[in-house]
Amino acid sequence: MDKHAYQKLGPIPRRPLGKDGVSVSAIGVGGHHLGELPDVETAIELVHEAIDAGVTFFDNCWEYYDGKTEDWLGRALAGKRDQIFLMTKVCTHGRDGTLAMRMLEESLRRLQTDHLDLWQIHGVSFDDDPELAYRKGGVLEALDLARRQGKTRFVGFTGHKTPRIHLEMITRGYPFDTVQMPLNCFDASFRSFEQEVLPEARRRGIAVIGMKSLGGTGDMIRRGAVTHDEALRYAMSLPVLTTVAGMSSIDVLRGDLEIARGFTPMAPVEMAALRASSAPMAGDGRFELYKVGLRYDNPEARRAHGFPTDPTEKEIAQSLDEVMNPRGMSR
Amino acid sequence: MNQQGTIPRRALGNTGAEVSLLALGGSHLGDIQDPAEATRIVHEAIDAGVTFFDNAWEYHDGRSEALLGDALRGRRDRVVLMTKVCTHGRDRRVALQQLDESLRRLRTDHLDLWQVHECVYDDDPSLHFAPGGVIEALDEARRKGKVRFVGFTGHKDPAIHLDMLGRGYPFDTAQMPLNCFDASFRSFERRVLPEVQKQGIAAIGMKSLSGGGYAVRAGVITAAEALRYAMSLSVASVVTGVDSVEVLRQNLAIARGFTPMTADEMDVLRARVAASAADGRYELYKTTTHFDARVGREQHGFPPRDEMPL
Repeated sequence: MDKHAYQKLGPIPRRPLGKDGVSVSAIGVGGHHLGELPDVETAIELVHEAIDAGVTFFDNCWEYYDGKTEDWLGRALAGKRDQIFLMTKVCTHGRDGTLAMRMLEESLRRLQTDHLDLWQIHGVSFDDDPELAYRKGGVLEALDLARRQGKTRFVGFTGHKTPRIHLEMITRGYPFDTVQMPLNCFDASFRSFEQEVLPEARRRGIAVIGMKSLGGTGDMIRRGAVTHDEALRYAMSLPVLTTVAGMSSIDVLRGDLEIARGFTPMAPVEMAALRASSAPMAGDGRFELYKVGLRYDNPEARRAHGFPTDPTEKEIAQSLDEVMNPRGMSR
Repeated sequence: MNQQGTIPRRALGNTGAEVSLLALGGSHLGDIQDPAEATRIVHEAIDAGVTFFDNAWEYHDGRSEALLGDALRGRRDRVVLMTKVCTHGRDRRVALQQLDESLRRLRTDHLDLWQVHECVYDDDPSLHFAPGGVIEALDEARRKGKVRFVGFTGHKDPAIHLDMLGRGYPFDTAQMPLNCFDASFRSFERRVLPEVQKQGIAAIGMKSLSGGGYAVRAGVITAAEALRYAMSLSVASVVTGVDSVEVLRQNLAIARGFTPMTADEMDVLRARVAASAADGRYELYKTTTHFDARVGREQHGFPPRDEMPL
């Protein structure tokens, strides 16, 4: 469909960010899934169709597919940079601000632009990440510098592991503009970002960006725990700036656009019913594996922390085996 | 082997009872194949001054309780006997049936402490406190004189313990993982221990060696450092898994004549392990499902833990 056909179908809602009249579309195109498309031509087609349909929010990250997704998005945005709100993420994972600035320059080059709209610290997932981010010479100093240099307008952070870690990042007091987190109907009943972090972010005037509306893998949809429409509508009905959705094909994009177009939030009672029907399946986190398992940690982040990486599975499997079969072990 | 000194005793919260700082864990007792060996371990522990014995209805399908019951014949009055009820969300009748089974296996007419086992799922507190739930069984067992004190246990998440503690029920004890890694990762020491103290509830430590001793075998800490750290916290007792006479003697030697680490020593140890603690790989009971009981998963309608990713 072209731009004119989309214009007849009605707009994607926009929501305001900050006090200077900036607004973004209520649904965003996730950068990671862009890398799953067969080739750059398909990626360009998807990005253009999303823009034509009224999507303005584009997510990305320095480390996705070793830079491929930033490169593809940059090529798709040629001549269209000013029509969209561009976000990418910095992947220091505890390392210093100088490294962050080098990553920023690489991101800008790949994205073929001289500035981002939003630059977020990627994957704040480990219990010592807040301390590492706030240390002298840490990544927060890079956020300040990038803002002063006009290389980004807004700054934030992301993570998928534990509400406590998000709360610690926020309550240490840095004036983040945005915070990105998993928000879905299962999260509401399990180590819940919705219950624990969303209210605190709102209280402080930090805009919330939702992600993992389908649980990261879509397993909850495939297993019939919830429908795709229910799950996305639930996430978009929360008081968020936007919901980043992974779109691994043009068909998925079109399906999501249909939900987003003329979107009206679910009624509170409808949301409560969905939370209630999801709750019994939510309690062990099996539909939110990004919260529970070491295997779902980002290997780059584990490496940066000095945690075991490639042999992770083997090492941990072995330790479990020992723990489960303790005979003959000296303790 | 150091035979000098006694095993310290501490008050079990506000109960008026006193327990040995070192307690013998029930799960590992069931790992011992030869019942005579289990008896020898229990007797040697009692003779050395251990008075606090841990167990659970579901350990090794009842074998742990039976082994302990056999070993305690003629010695029941010398120990503070604890076991745990394993409703995992089921109702008070299931709890009271389990209590009678536990008492029969343990060859006694009363427990000193009965704890709700393994509060590890986010919905456990609301299931336990539901009308007709296990909390009512705790009250009833206490009224009937079948248990003196009540508490709960869990190894997963401080938030779940805080939920249990935030509902106004007068627990006597709360059992939780306490070790030098925990201090830097989803920390019971930092978040739950202060609350427990505020409420006058006795804290019982467990998983002092990081749950199965993985961190000790990995060479990150020694058993003595780990156990001394756990015993230096404000706990009534530290439950340790003992599956051989050698391990028992090792732990007795650490506990005998124990003096707490200084605050500085504890800081140094916490700092030394903090970087390797932050992803939870030495506390797999918090990060994986592999320490969660089969019955508990069944009761919640969750798939078997073998089918779960790490």
